Amino acid sequence: MHTYIAKRLLLIIPTLLGAAALVFVIMRVIPGDVALLIFGGDAGGHIDPKQLAAMRQRLGLDQPLWVQFGTWLWGVLRFDFGTSLWTGRPVMEELLIRLPLSLELALAATAVSVIIAIPFGMLAAIRQDTWVDYLVRVVSIGGLAIPSFWVGILCILMLVIFFGWGPPLEFTPPWVDPWANFQMMIWPVVTVGYRYAAVTTRMTRSTMLEVLREDYIRTAWAKGLRERAVVVRHALKNSMLPVITLVGTEFAFLIGGLVVTETVFTLNGVGRFVVDAVAHRDYPVVQALIFLIAFGFVVVNLLVDLTYAWFDPRIRYR
Amino acid sequence: MAVGFRYSYSRTLFIVGVLMVALAAPAAVRAADTPRHGGILLAVIGADPPSLDPHQESTFATMQLVAPLYSTLLQTDPYAYPKIIGDVASEWKISPDGLTYTFKVRPGIRFHDGSPLTAADVKATYDKIITPPEAVRSVRKNAYVAVTGVEAPDASTVVFKLKFPSASLLENLASPWNVIYPKKYLDKDPNHFKLNVVGSGPFKFKSYTRSATFEGERNPDYFVKDRPYLNGYKFFISPETSVRAAAIRSGRAYIEFRDLPNAEVEAIKKQLGDKVAVQQTPMTGQFGIAINNTVKPFTDPRVRKALTLGLDRYTGGKVLFTLTGLRDVGALLRPGTEWGLPDAELQKLPGFGRDMEKNRTEARKLLAEAGFPNGFKVVLKNRNVKLPYQDLAVFAIQEWRRIGIEADHRPLETAAWFADGRDTGSFELIIAPTVEYSDDPDVFLRRYTTGDPENWGRFSSPAIDDLFSRQSRALDHAERRRLVQQLQKVVLENVYYMPGLWWTRNVVHWTKVKNYVAPPNHYSNQKLQDVWLSED
Repeated sequence: MHTYIAKRLLLIIPTLLGAAALVFVIMRVIPGDVALLIFGGDAGGHIDPKQLAAMRQRLGLDQPLWVQFGTWLWGVLRFDFGTSLWTGRPVMEELLIRLPLSLELALAATAVSVIIAIPFGMLAAIRQDTWVDYLVRVVSIGGLAIPSFWVGILCILMLVIFFGWGPPLEFTPPWVDPWANFQMMIWPVVTVGYRYAAVTTRMTRSTMLEVLREDYIRTAWAKGLRERAVVVRHALKNSMLPVITLVGTEFAFLIGGLVVTETVFTLNGVGRFVVDAVAHRDYPVVQALIFLIAFGFVVVNLLVDLTYAWFDPRIRYR
Repeated sequence: MAVGFRYSYSRTLFIVGVLMVALAAPAAVRAADTPRHGGILLAVIGADPPSLDPHQESTFATMQLVAPLYSTLLQTDPYAYPKIIGDVASEWKISPDGLTYTFKVRPGIRFHDGSPLTAADVKATYDKIITPPEAVRSVRKNAYVAVTGVEAPDASTVVFKLKFPSASLLENLASPWNVIYPKKYLDKDPNHFKLNVVGSGPFKFKSYTRSATFEGERNPDYFVKDRPYLNGYKFFISPETSVRAAAIRSGRAYIEFRDLPNAEVEAIKKQLGDKVAVQQTPMTGQFGIAINNTVKPFTDPRVRKALTLGLDRYTGGKVLFTLTGLRDVGALLRPGTEWGLPDAELQKLPGFGRDMEKNRTEARKLLAEAGFPNGFKVVLKNRNVKLPYQDLAVFAIQEWRRIGIEADHRPLETAAWFADGRDTGSFELIIAPTVEYSDDPDVFLRRYTTGDPENWGRFSSPAIDDLFSRQSRALDHAERRRLVQQLQKVVLENVYYMPGLWWTRNVVHWTKVKNYVAPPNHYSNQKLQDVWLSED
């Protein structure tokens, strides 16, 4: 087990290096130059080549690509992700403003999803082809088919039209004012949680159905065990492995992937930050964020794999 | 004929109506209530500023957030656009030969760090704008080509020396973008104000969380006595139009200064009734299409002419208005102003006649003469912003299809729109907006001169260059007007550029927001010094 963990930890290094190199190359291949953008702005290109060269030098963009990449990597090793080319502020400072919000949203949406999805997915599987199953399937297909941002806009409009009330426009951390935080976060959590729960419910239902058809379950029924014991003790644990993978991957995705939901609910999260940085060709910010998001994915995957060991003793003993 | 008469009659009525509303609105907004001190003005804004330095930016996102924190040398009268009044300058005089402008700086003005604002600060500010140091961007430096130098002979006198008389220098010195910075910070780092704010305006900087909020608080030492009325202001940043509209509807915000689409405005009015007011104003902004004059087949004037003849702008104004606010048909300067071309003159120009069947027939004939009897295919590049960029493009594409031109719409994200379009000239046709803070011809027409960085179409006409230079120096108003109108005709007769439609904006606010008069642009009158709230 220890060797397995050590191997997995070592594998993180090439994975992150690969991700960093890929993002570095992509950002420089796509059209658009941060120096040109800083001078060009919205108004037009008042661009003097001398000024442009001086700006590139100031931003360190006149260096060969491998030097730029090396400098950046050396900084990362010292936990220095550089400064934004656009704002001049340290990337970590900018990120730390947004991370609590994104983490709260991801955690809360995951909690909502798991709380809804596992019992309803199980129920639909156990009561396959009954009205309960049909209802769960219809609601979960709805969650997959309807875009989250549309549900979000609908939520806001319903609140405004029927109650003359709208969610706050500014994030307040829960430790500062829990009620203000709740008023703002409940709507995106429900919106994101619904889609997330829909995906997880369908996964739970299908894996549960598979497991319920296994020989050892048939044996359990034949032994005369009660339904609760068969489902919870024998079937549930084994049907959870793909669900855990899904929950882990979705959680990591939620931290940086909720651009549209963040926009709809005026949430200043990591997703919007990434998109803004790409639009401004703010290389250090994009590189740092993609690197950290990749790191998040890798860590969550590792945790998921370790959880497997708890659910499946065969992995533990291997 | 009857149709023509009916149209011009209704149009006249419409114009009279608009004028009455425009004249009445400021008076209504400046209601005779007693101003009340206190309260925080809550506003929503659709974008995050690229930086906080207005000298280096050209987006309303920068202007609206920081304007209340700064002073300018001159300013546009908040209640009477385009009249120019002093801000930091208490008085000024122009020498008889028009080559020397002398300004007196008001005594007793202090920056928010406590230091006094003197003529040296004004000089340092304008030196940065007119002759920026290396690696410092100055968006509007070309507006000051007539200025040879700025001098500060004593602490309260600023002198602008010119090499030739300028018809627009005062307008340019009243630009809301030219905020005055303390010299001592500029000396250390001319980019200091991209991230920091030290102004002398009615409000002091309080906080800024990127992509979220921007706040200012009352400056108790502001040089105008008993101002500002508000304790502060706070902007919530949200790029989603429906979210900003919902914020107004729910009372989470009291005003949206830029523009909300008509459909949202109607919904807000329906729900809130007389709790809200809408100030609809024409805009000093036009969305049109730049033609790359250096690539075939657009080097042929017949092809360019066919393109503009194929656009039914009058129908476009009706169709696009409710969606986008684009409505008025005009030339290169705002219709209805002293500089705009009169309707009768405009209609003689290609693409502005009202008989569309005749226009399209002529367009097809020109295309056939140019060797394209079956039309041709072209790429129309655009910014991937829906309102009003993409709506205008979709409209133009449908129109051109009727004369056999198949345009492939290619929306690009903003960075690529600059880099793979405007800046490099790698386009055939591209949506090219023109939005300025003033109607002045120097501000609007420079982009049609040879080699100007904003001459997206990369054309060169000695006639245009000459007319621009002459109007810029013409101190006789009537003469300048004649030259400006002539210049517009040269551009449009040769179809170097295709104007689309002029923009109209809706400023929606709760009626408790008092004393804000929306000017015809979303840059000026943003200092909020006279704005007050009748209740919290």
